[in-house]
Amino acid sequence: MTQPTLSRRGFLASGTALTALAMGGFLPPIARAQPEKVLRLRMDGDIKILDPGYMIGGIEIEAQKQCLPFLAQYKRDGDTIGWEPTYYVSKLEQRDPTHIDFELVEGLNWSGGHGPLKASDVKFSYERMKKSEWAGYFEVLDHVEVTGERTGTIVLTKPFAPFFLVTLCHGPGAILCERAVTEAGGRFTTQFPAVCGPYLFSNAPGQAATFLPNPDWSGPKPEFDRVQAKIITQVKATELAYEAGELDCTQIDSDAVARYRAGPPPGSELTKAGELNFMWLGMNSEHPKLHDIRVRRAIQHAVDVDSIIAAAYSNVATKSCGIICPGLIGHRTETKFYTYDPAKARELLAEAGVNGLKLSLRTLNTQQPMLVAQIVQANLGAVGITLEVIPLDAGPFWEMGMESAGDTWKDLELWTMRFGSVPDPYEASQWFVSSQVGNWNWERWTNPEYDSLVEQGIAESNPEKRNDIYLRLQEIMEETGAYVWLCHEPRYYVHRSDISVNVSPSGQQDYRLFTVI
Amino acid sequence: MSVASSEPTLEIRSKARSARHAQLRVFLTNWQAMLGLVLVVIFFASAIFAPQIAPYDPNAMDIPARLAGPSWQHLAGTDQLGRDTLSRILHGGRVALTIAAIGVSLSLAIGLALGMLAAFGPRRLDSLLLLIFDSVRSFPTIILGLATVSLTGPSLGLVMVIVVITSIPQYARVTRTAALVLRGTDFVLAERSLGASTLRILWHHILPNVVGPLLILAAMDVPVVVSLEAGLSFLGLGVTPPTASWGTLLNEGYLVIRNSSWMVIMAGMPLVLTTIGFTFLAEGLRDILDPRMNRGR
Repeated sequence: MTQPTLSRRGFLASGTALTALAMGGFLPPIARAQPEKVLRLRMDGDIKILDPGYMIGGIEIEAQKQCLPFLAQYKRDGDTIGWEPTYYVSKLEQRDPTHIDFELVEGLNWSGGHGPLKASDVKFSYERMKKSEWAGYFEVLDHVEVTGERTGTIVLTKPFAPFFLVTLCHGPGAILCERAVTEAGGRFTTQFPAVCGPYLFSNAPGQAATFLPNPDWSGPKPEFDRVQAKIITQVKATELAYEAGELDCTQIDSDAVARYRAGPPPGSELTKAGELNFMWLGMNSEHPKLHDIRVRRAIQHAVDVDSIIAAAYSNVATKSCGIICPGLIGHRTETKFYTYDPAKARELLAEAGVNGLKLSLRTLNTQQPMLVAQIVQANLGAVGITLEVIPLDAGPFWEMGMESAGDTWKDLELWTMRFGSVPDPYEASQWFVSSQVGNWNWERWTNPEYDSLVEQGIAESNPEKRNDIYLRLQEIMEETGAYVWLCHEPRYYVHRSDISVNVSPSGQQDYRLFTVI
Repeated sequence: MSVASSEPTLEIRSKARSARHAQLRVFLTNWQAMLGLVLVVIFFASAIFAPQIAPYDPNAMDIPARLAGPSWQHLAGTDQLGRDTLSRILHGGRVALTIAAIGVSLSLAIGLALGMLAAFGPRRLDSLLLLIFDSVRSFPTIILGLATVSLTGPSLGLVMVIVVITSIPQYARVTRTAALVLRGTDFVLAERSLGASTLRILWHHILPNVVGPLLILAAMDVPVVVSLEAGLSFLGLGVTPPTASWGTLLNEGYLVIRNSSWMVIMAGMPLVLTTIGFTFLAEGLRDILDPRMNRGR
């Protein structure tokens, strides 16, 4: 019996033959498989709860968008943000102000053999949200009527103009598999009981979240076979990772935007996702030191917002004149009751008989809020107000104005605040109604007209009328003297030039809609 | 009789004087010690006279000039709010000096007292104090800072308290060890047999013998304390705005390092120079004060 041998000449000959076969296309597909297309992104923290009813938000919504069905998605038209039906529905129509008809696409199945996507899943998902921690988004939902296996009607208790943008396009609008969730005990945390989307979800806490191809998916195939979202908490570290070629797309802060505008990394582009953040300097109108509106008005006149935007936001953010963000109905472009005027501020303080006023300003201890606080400190110092800056960690900061979290709200004088929003003015306005005093209305003013306008804004569907409502509503807020509007900070992403990114206005990346140019 | 008794005393004094002269010669010819001394003097002088020598108000903002590199107008450049970095470094030195002077002095004094108490007190007290010292030493300083700041909020006083608490055990342990050795020496036993009180023995015999090593330790501890303050301020646990400290300057510089690296370099330099200065000075002092180090000369 002859033993197989491999001579140098034989090895070279075999190698040449295999190369020739491969080039000629004669090898089986497995031997010449296309390289896997991988998209490498960043997540700013661990995913804690994927269940839409009990999630924290942010990155969890991002994960839901890849794995769960939605009825509607955001659509951009220039600077305006609207909505459009997703590929999960063949019909999504508002029949009248309180009825929305939908029809799901045929042939979409849940993973793990949980059957087809049905109208009863929509009913289950939305009606359970009414009893969840995100119930506010479904406050006006009466019920979902199932009219067929794939058809149904969402019935609202009253007209709610923002329902599409605020609820259906956003994380709370995710649809779950009734059977799988019930089998999982009614709730879930870091794994989806079943998915109906292009990707399956896999989580390595503290390291990365990976989105793998879903073999049961029969809908449109995404551009990327696999998405790896590395967990990088520090935005500066993210920039380094991007520049080192470890990421294909990542969010960046204002500093980096200014730097990349001057000279982006090779083969890179910037994309602006939206400006759905609003930042302001708040004042507790009930505090004895700030009870006199002339003092509050003096502070409004004393703060140089342009300097804040230049120094803390590298001139990247848009100057704010209210709570409604650019691109939305009701966005204001000028203030009515104040401008930067230190002389006027001093005059008002003198008129109020205030001398040697000492105040405190509480702020998050991160870079931008700290810079803002120092500029405000210098501005108020220039008109004779001594300001003590109190930097706080996120934990104590976010509960300092809440009556349910102790007595700090009583000592609250000034603070810098930043809210994120969704693309409808209702979201931003709802936190300042009378019932929010002691909860999120830390400025602690009430105004029946404001409360009524918020209700009118919800019910009104005429854009022009809604615009007037939200303009008036912000005028009332400004008139209280309890706000110095600062800016709307944009969300910017740096990414490879050959990738077209898809990011919702509120900052969630939709990986399944990323494309290669 | 009186003449006969004064002759040995004079001889001893003369020997002591010449020994001191020799020590001074050793110190003056040690270039490292001299460099350390110069740097330490600069550190103290720049901190004490910062208001006089700083070219600008450390808190004066000039936003159009933000993140400027070194120039004749701003020798160390400017920060994110256009404040002069050199002026902030000089004023930051005052924070470092305050923390170092008060923190080290307090911990030395308390550590010295507790160390002697442990050595000469009841055995149970000694064991209890050792347990406390070891517990404090085993607790990570930064974690202690984080835990405390969450209760009280950041402040210079808090940094001082953390410095003192975490530094006491090392002084106390050194004192205790030295005092235990001295307790069994002939001259202490002789003094005790003559009826001297424990307080007298501690004050006249133990203290003079342990204070030398403790001073060396304190000199070496100053850069540690300055770095600790910088570290805590870097994490936002130290001074509050707009006060400048080397730690906050480093933090601010780190945050804009991609835009301008000057701030980190400029804010890091005084920390490096202070560390070198105090370390070299302490080693020079050890060379002349520690008998074991002189043996080889």
